[in-house]
Amino acid sequence: MSASVNVVLRVRDLRVAYAGNQAVDLKSLDVGQGEVVGVVGANGAGKSTLVNALAGWSRGAPRVTGEVALGGQRVDGRPTHERIRSGLLLVPEGRLVFGRMNVEDNLSTAFSPLAAPGRKVYTRDEIYELFPRLKERRHHLGSQLSGGERQMLGIGRALMMGPRVLLLDEPSIGLAPKLVQQVLDTMRTLARSGLSILLVEQNVRAALEVVDRLLLLERGRVVLEGPAAQVGNDPRIAQAYLGVATA
Amino acid sequence: MNLTQQLINGIVLGHAFALVAIGWTLLLGVARLVNFGHGQMYMLGAFVTWWAVVKAGVPYVLAVPIAMAIGALFGLVMQRVMLKATFEQNLVSIMIMTLGFGYVLHGGAALVFGSTGQILDTALSRNDITIGDLWFTWQDAAIVIAAIVVFVGLKWVLDGTRVGRLVRMVAEDPKLAMLAGVNVRRVYYGVFAFEGAAVAFAAGMVAPRTPILTSMGFEEVIMTFVVVVLGGIGSVTGSYVAGVALGLFTALFGALVSPAYTTAAAFLVLIAVLVLRPRGLSAGPAAGAH
Repeated sequence: MSASVNVVLRVRDLRVAYAGNQAVDLKSLDVGQGEVVGVVGANGAGKSTLVNALAGWSRGAPRVTGEVALGGQRVDGRPTHERIRSGLLLVPEGRLVFGRMNVEDNLSTAFSPLAAPGRKVYTRDEIYELFPRLKERRHHLGSQLSGGERQMLGIGRALMMGPRVLLLDEPSIGLAPKLVQQVLDTMRTLARSGLSILLVEQNVRAALEVVDRLLLLERGRVVLEGPAAQVGNDPRIAQAYLGVATA
Repeated sequence: MNLTQQLINGIVLGHAFALVAIGWTLLLGVARLVNFGHGQMYMLGAFVTWWAVVKAGVPYVLAVPIAMAIGALFGLVMQRVMLKATFEQNLVSIMIMTLGFGYVLHGGAALVFGSTGQILDTALSRNDITIGDLWFTWQDAAIVIAAIVVFVGLKWVLDGTRVGRLVRMVAEDPKLAMLAGVNVRRVYYGVFAFEGAAVAFAAGMVAPRTPILTSMGFEEVIMTFVVVVLGGIGSVTGSYVAGVALGLFTALFGALVSPAYTTAAAFLVLIAVLVLRPRGLSAGPAAGAH
């Protein structure tokens, strides 16, 4: 990342531990405006733990320390809903929709976000434009949606809350190749409009198509970092996914 | 034995059951919480209303909101104490804490209000309506109307408003709700305040039908439990139907068999339903805060 880029998300000395076991130990991470940073690594490397901790969210109860700042404002120590409201939005892996609510209700927010420079607030209609499939399904219950539709719904809900930084955890998981392409294209469009994205991805090849920069995590630590074009061919990345990494 | 009169009694009783149970229905549907201090909160609502009307000379229409405010306050205090257990969904702790809270309320009320029975008379309960040989009081009519208004109102809020959507989000997945920007803690507080206010409102409406004692509460919590379970855990419409059905059953059973065994009989029905329809009478795929 060039120094002239406006840093939107700044992370320092982030440590996350579950029951005393260190899951993430991240010295430093900056994400600039409109930048897409990819986080790759083997299963259990701490990728999800990292993005969840940035949003102050978890289905478990980890211990988190360190600094997280959004647009210069410290948000660590703030409860999840406040980080969300300030524009640090997480689309987690796994359960993304309210199964007993229809798509229309799922695409509603708990607050009225204010648009600001670098913070576009999408309306429901704009989400339908972005994902026409959701419009067709708007009266269906969340539980009736396919995996790809759920992913679109999760991203759509986040966009309606006016993200400054979007934390996306494995948006391509379980999707057909065509849908993966669509989700990634959407991401590129969003980044071009100024949105910063931290993308956790198993599918390295797909990730390389959209990210500006890539981090390789191993046992919760960054072992490789650099511009996508440069580190994409590093053998350690292939190793991480082939499961032959010896750390 | 006049069957029509028994049906009227049953309808009034049923709406009273439903009204008393509404707070717990929301509590269970949204926060998956139980409140075994519910009966004592009913007792407290009745005594605050009585105290305001008889001792402080406040008009009945103002005494009920006072009781509701105090009920909501107690609900908030309870939720504050239980917040950690609520987030952890530690039902055993919550059960015991609420049961203990009920005993504290019982003891406290006995100290403040004494342990003799009192009568809460209102302008409505003193005036009868007689049609032929059928008889009920204006208070009875008010209970039926109040229950319908409260249920329709709650249903409307849950299904048709932003607050209702937030509440339904928390009911289904509190963790995901946080990611939608919902302040889940505030929703939990709100639900418990509603529980406290709703049961106090129910007490203010229903208590004039019978003498009130600080030792009461057991029958109210048991009947509420039956209504909530029969209605399908957390289902608003289900609770209304179950309340009215239970009222009719109780009135008819009392008239045709024996009034002494109505609570036992209600439990037999509950057990039978739980065996045949474990998720309650109205439970469908969309059970929950609906």
